[in-house]
Amino acid sequence: MSDAIRHRLTPLEKSERRLGFAMLAPAFLLLAAVVLYPIAELIRNSFHFNHLAQPWMGTPFVGFENYVKALGDDRFHEAVWHTLLYILVTVPGAVVIGLGLALLANQPFRVKWPVRLGLLLPWALPLVFAGLIFRWFFEYNQGIANAMLRGLGFEPLNWLTSPGLAFFAICLAIIWKSSSFVALVLLAGLQTIPKSFYEAAEVDGATKWQQFREITLPMLRPAIFVALIFRTITAIQTFDIPYAMTNGGPGNSTETLAMYIHKTTIDFLDLGYGSALAVLMFLVSAVITSLYLRHTRRDPGRH
Amino acid sequence: MAGIEIAKVVKAYGSVPVIHGIDLSVRDGEFVVLVGPSGCGKSTLLRMIAGLESVTDGTIRIGDRVVNDLPPRDRDIAMVFQDYALYPHRTVAENVGFGLRMRGVDAATIARKVNEAAEILQITHLLDRKPGQLSGGQRQRVAMGRAIVRDPKVFLFDEPLSNLDAQLRAEMRVEIKKLHQRFGTTIIYVTHDQVEAMTLADRIAILKAGHVEQFATPDEVYRQPRSTFVARFIGSPSMNIVPARISPDAATIALAGGAALAAPASFARARGRDVLLGLRAEHLGLAGPEGVPARTVIVEPLGSDTLALMQIGGVEMTGRFPPSAPLRAGGEVTLGLDLEKAHLFDPETGLAIA
Repeated sequence: MSDAIRHRLTPLEKSERRLGFAMLAPAFLLLAAVVLYPIAELIRNSFHFNHLAQPWMGTPFVGFENYVKALGDDRFHEAVWHTLLYILVTVPGAVVIGLGLALLANQPFRVKWPVRLGLLLPWALPLVFAGLIFRWFFEYNQGIANAMLRGLGFEPLNWLTSPGLAFFAICLAIIWKSSSFVALVLLAGLQTIPKSFYEAAEVDGATKWQQFREITLPMLRPAIFVALIFRTITAIQTFDIPYAMTNGGPGNSTETLAMYIHKTTIDFLDLGYGSALAVLMFLVSAVITSLYLRHTRRDPGRH
Repeated sequence: MAGIEIAKVVKAYGSVPVIHGIDLSVRDGEFVVLVGPSGCGKSTLLRMIAGLESVTDGTIRIGDRVVNDLPPRDRDIAMVFQDYALYPHRTVAENVGFGLRMRGVDAATIARKVNEAAEILQITHLLDRKPGQLSGGQRQRVAMGRAIVRDPKVFLFDEPLSNLDAQLRAEMRVEIKKLHQRFGTTIIYVTHDQVEAMTLADRIAILKAGHVEQFATPDEVYRQPRSTFVARFIGSPSMNIVPARISPDAATIALAGGAALAAPASFARARGRDVLLGLRAEHLGLAGPEGVPARTVIVEPLGSDTLALMQIGGVEMTGRFPPSAPLRAGGEVTLGLDLEKAHLFDPETGLAIA
């Protein structure tokens, strides 16, 4: 009997529920049109042959053929490897630099806005812009990097045309660009730590370094995790900066997964294979993200 | 253990002075309470003693050392903060032992001292918990444990009980007093609550707008307030302070709005003057026909006694009466005012007329 009462909606509740659905509908339809439909189309494509340069072949269903092709594709393997390297270098790099910037910005400056602006600017800059700026920095003849080397009496370097140096230069640009986002996340975290924690530690005899290790780092853990997750997800998709700086060159030594997918579909017009690669990239992101999330759930600092 | 000498201490933020030359001399082992309304500078003064705020001018001595330029960690003090400042990611034992660990004390000694402190404060069963799992009163005990474990020369308390409910506050007040009796360490304690000040202190410093209004024992600030500010601040209900005029022959005192009363001999010190008459609630009483007529405005029964707001001529005064007193709002009564116990203040300066 109580069930019957619970399940019977009054006319007022029914009309409220209808209104609720009606208000959700536009957002849901938009989402379906621009996110769900393309993803479904991507997955469908990945199981078909679809090459725009070979329209006479039609778009037959080929099962897992595109995925099997990826397994044996050396260029794909290299792109995955490069992406992994970017993640390994730029994610910790951005977090360390970002933490430093956040600590700096959290100091009691008399005038705060130049500090905040300096933090926000790299973040607000479009990625391609950042890529172009660093391309000019490392340009052989007029770049500031080689100008400094010459000034110090060294030979200029082929920054963007030798594989190791190009990777280094791109990592530098990515870290510069992304550490400001990390700094903003960590700065928000820093500001939630009560001032009295530091004062109590000061009275208790802790040095600044001890205060950092005993209070700042443990209290910042959740914020650092958030920064790591976000940074890793964007690092998996690394595209704009290497695209603007080297376009994957020299050879394809700095090419990332996202760039290879872009080339496969846009330059080589192979939609079927490109779709399969995109699905694989999505799976990699999902796996890495879920690993992080499992780790945060185990976080012993919270209960 | 050490006394504290505060001499001509000034604190200014930029060009805004907040403490105007305070002198305070705290004896070794004394329990001194700094009390005053918000913004009077009591917390700032405490933080200057702790070393968390710089001293603009003057000197602060702990023991025989001038500590003006010493960082907090070298002052041999312990401080209990209003929000307790317990580290949420550390257990109670780690919080209590924090200061010792930072100073490189070996683990065995830390464990022993933490256990001793925990026993004194009855928190032994909580040592493995995190602060988030504790009640307000338990956190308060942990914060005190963190202070006593270091065995400092001076304890500083910054409004330690203001986050607790009334009952716990009374309980912890007793606890703090016990601690002081046990260790005999000098304590400086900041509060805005005059009850805490009266019950805990050996001496109370009442601060107003950056200077010390009166520094004396609880008994003295209650019985001989130096000014209307102290008179109003200390005691509950607040002292009644009403304008009055003493006749030139000092025979009578006329309250504003009419009622004239026979003046005691001591009022001769203010003959012929306009004064502020201060009278505590307990010095009003129901009297025979020789008293002043008054009208009861509001009755507040408290159980142990009853407070009532009385209209006497043109002024209102609160009186404290036995619970059996026949009072009802709007009723007419005859009051006796114990003017022997009354205080006279200068209406211009607010200072007591001695």
